[in-house]
Amino acid sequence: MAGCRHPHHPVSPPVHTFEVVERKSPPFREYAEVFVVVVAVTMAALFVAPSSHLSFGIVYLIAVVTLSMRVGRGALIFAGIFSALMWDLFVIPPVGSLAITSFEDVLMLGTYVIVAFVIGRSNARIREAERAERVREQRASALLHVARALAEAKTFEQAIDIALRQADQLFNGDSVLLLVTPDGHLRASNGPVDRYNETEKGAGEWAWTHGAKAGRFTPNFPEAAGHYLPLMRAMSVVGVLAVYLPDETAKSLAGFKDLLEGFAAQVAMQIEREQLRVVTEREKLFVESEKLHRTLLDSVAHELRTPLAVLSAATAKLGTQNEANRADLAAEIRTATHRLNRLVANLLNLNRLESGTLKPRLDWCDLRGLINEALRNTADVLKDHPVTVTVPPGMLLIQADPALLEQAITNLLHNAAFHTPAGTPVTIEGGIKGATEPRICISISDKGPGMPPELRDVLFPKFQRGKHALPGGLGLGLSIVHGFVTAQGGEVVSGDNPGGGAAFSIYLPYHKPDTVPEE
Amino acid sequence: MSTPDKASILVIDDEIQIRRLLSSTLVDAGYSVLTAESGALGLKEGAYRRPDAIILDLGLPDLPGIEVLRQLREWSHVPVLILSVFGEEDRKVEALDAGADDYLTKPFGESELLARVRVLLRRPKPTDEVANAVYGNIEVDFLRRLVSVKGTPIKLSGKEYALLMLFSQHRGKVLTHRQILGEIWGADAKPQTHYLHVYVRRLREKLEEDPDEPVHFKTESGIGYRFVG
Repeated sequence: MAGCRHPHHPVSPPVHTFEVVERKSPPFREYAEVFVVVVAVTMAALFVAPSSHLSFGIVYLIAVVTLSMRVGRGALIFAGIFSALMWDLFVIPPVGSLAITSFEDVLMLGTYVIVAFVIGRSNARIREAERAERVREQRASALLHVARALAEAKTFEQAIDIALRQADQLFNGDSVLLLVTPDGHLRASNGPVDRYNETEKGAGEWAWTHGAKAGRFTPNFPEAAGHYLPLMRAMSVVGVLAVYLPDETAKSLAGFKDLLEGFAAQVAMQIEREQLRVVTEREKLFVESEKLHRTLLDSVAHELRTPLAVLSAATAKLGTQNEANRADLAAEIRTATHRLNRLVANLLNLNRLESGTLKPRLDWCDLRGLINEALRNTADVLKDHPVTVTVPPGMLLIQADPALLEQAITNLLHNAAFHTPAGTPVTIEGGIKGATEPRICISISDKGPGMPPELRDVLFPKFQRGKHALPGGLGLGLSIVHGFVTAQGGEVVSGDNPGGGAAFSIYLPYHKPDTVPEE
Repeated sequence: MSTPDKASILVIDDEIQIRRLLSSTLVDAGYSVLTAESGALGLKEGAYRRPDAIILDLGLPDLPGIEVLRQLREWSHVPVLILSVFGEEDRKVEALDAGADDYLTKPFGESELLARVRVLLRRPKPTDEVANAVYGNIEVDFLRRLVSVKGTPIKLSGKEYALLMLFSQHRGKVLTHRQILGEIWGADAKPQTHYLHVYVRRLREKLEEDPDEPVHFKTESGIGYRFVG
């Protein structure tokens, strides 16, 4: 009946990867590149056309402009000076000397140097601006991605996991989330929590209590390994984000500052959202349980009132009636007290189930004996129903909590008696079912109106009562059957009695007892 | 108060209505009745008045009923009937194992109460003084260790006979699983309760008319057995 619940495997979305800063080639490689290019152009000039030395200035110029798109400012200045020297030394006559004889050559070299520098510088500026723009864009997209991933996350844990992994990727370090516990302590809750060790506590706590950054790169606890950002929301610090950066990233933290703060704001928002969700959930639960209690109280009051009314009317009449009528009144009083007793028993059982204090005490018991006891409990309500009991011949010893199982069978018999017309038969069948995995099966079936199909699935929850049900049920009975049987590791199945009526079956695990010697 | 020919019964219950009802029922049946509304008062009454039997409610406000019973048992063997409410099987078994003689579950009927009290007040006769006994169709000749049903001799094994003896000594009274196992199989090596169920079943099959609906060897679900003679 109860659907099998499959274990839930959370699938976290992959972390978005990107590089925040364009990777720069190391300076010496840029200088080497400049050197190679300038030497190559000079060689070409020497071999190809040693006569037209002036026109080679254009080739040098093209080389420097091209290099300006690839190398940094320092290497570019080097390119300008080095190429001018090479040109002068090896191409402009007299070859092999820095001296320049013709005024035309001086003019040409001077122009070359100025043009090379101007073009180089403006090119470099454009490139720098472009790079800054790209970094900004990448950071914006990084934050946007984090925000989207957080919004898509199904659980708080998943969201925080995504955020921290994204931060690790972003800053090339370790990020740890420190949260405030209900008892008012700051504790590392997500990420590589070991990084937040005893020596780091001072900085983390400081950031939390002061609502300001602490740790590395700050005046407060600069010797700490981590950088601690308070997660602020509406005047309160909801947690602290700890970031542990490797040294090479740490050097350029200045560029990360905004991103880190933006990221911290996102995480803070996430935590606040979670806190709000928890509060809302709790309120919803509270309202629901309030409603449930009111329903229970209403139906209990109603159920109590009926037998009490009978009792009060019957006792008032007792004094004035003759002997024969008195016997009838006494029978009415007995029925009413039984009903009250049953109601109290059910409420107590419900309380045992709800409070979680129900601990089944499994012991060997005789199935037939249990059924007999349940029949004795229900003798008064079943007096108008022919009852058939079918159990295997001999004795069937089962392992169960006798009191709980007896109550479960009693409740099912009560239901059968109450919800079927007088005179219709009730059948109890007990035995072992299943060859590979034998289970004890106790089924109680009747020939009443049967169960409306729409009620089948909602039969066992508390307080449910069939629309066509006769009064006297309160609907507690079935939920207690369900609770008691489940507590003993069994299940209750409801169905149709072939040929009309309802059937309820209790299934319990079966263990064969050891054989008992004859002595 | 109590005349020598009337058996006196002490009722310890904190509910005035229960005390009143029990008193009138018991007085009508010819007993003299003492009442106490708390465990401490009950113990005092028990010590001074020396009643012939005690009816003790398990749920007293000052002392737990089980504690009253334990203190009582330190100096007295007076028969005790426990009153308890539904769903307290563990407490009933605990009280019975602690020396209570029988129990009644509230609410109970008058006839049930009087039957229990009668059994409680019956003076146990040593079995060796009784030559034979008849329980419905069952006849037991204690001297020759012979059992017969409707005149037909029945062969019982040693343990089965011992069990029957135990039941007949405690006729009408409930015996817990633990008490029976301890008596028959010894206090140390206690087998599981299913041994007991199997032996009772064998006795039922040999001695009862319908072993599925026994009239002598009654099951007290979750507690033990009661032999009705």
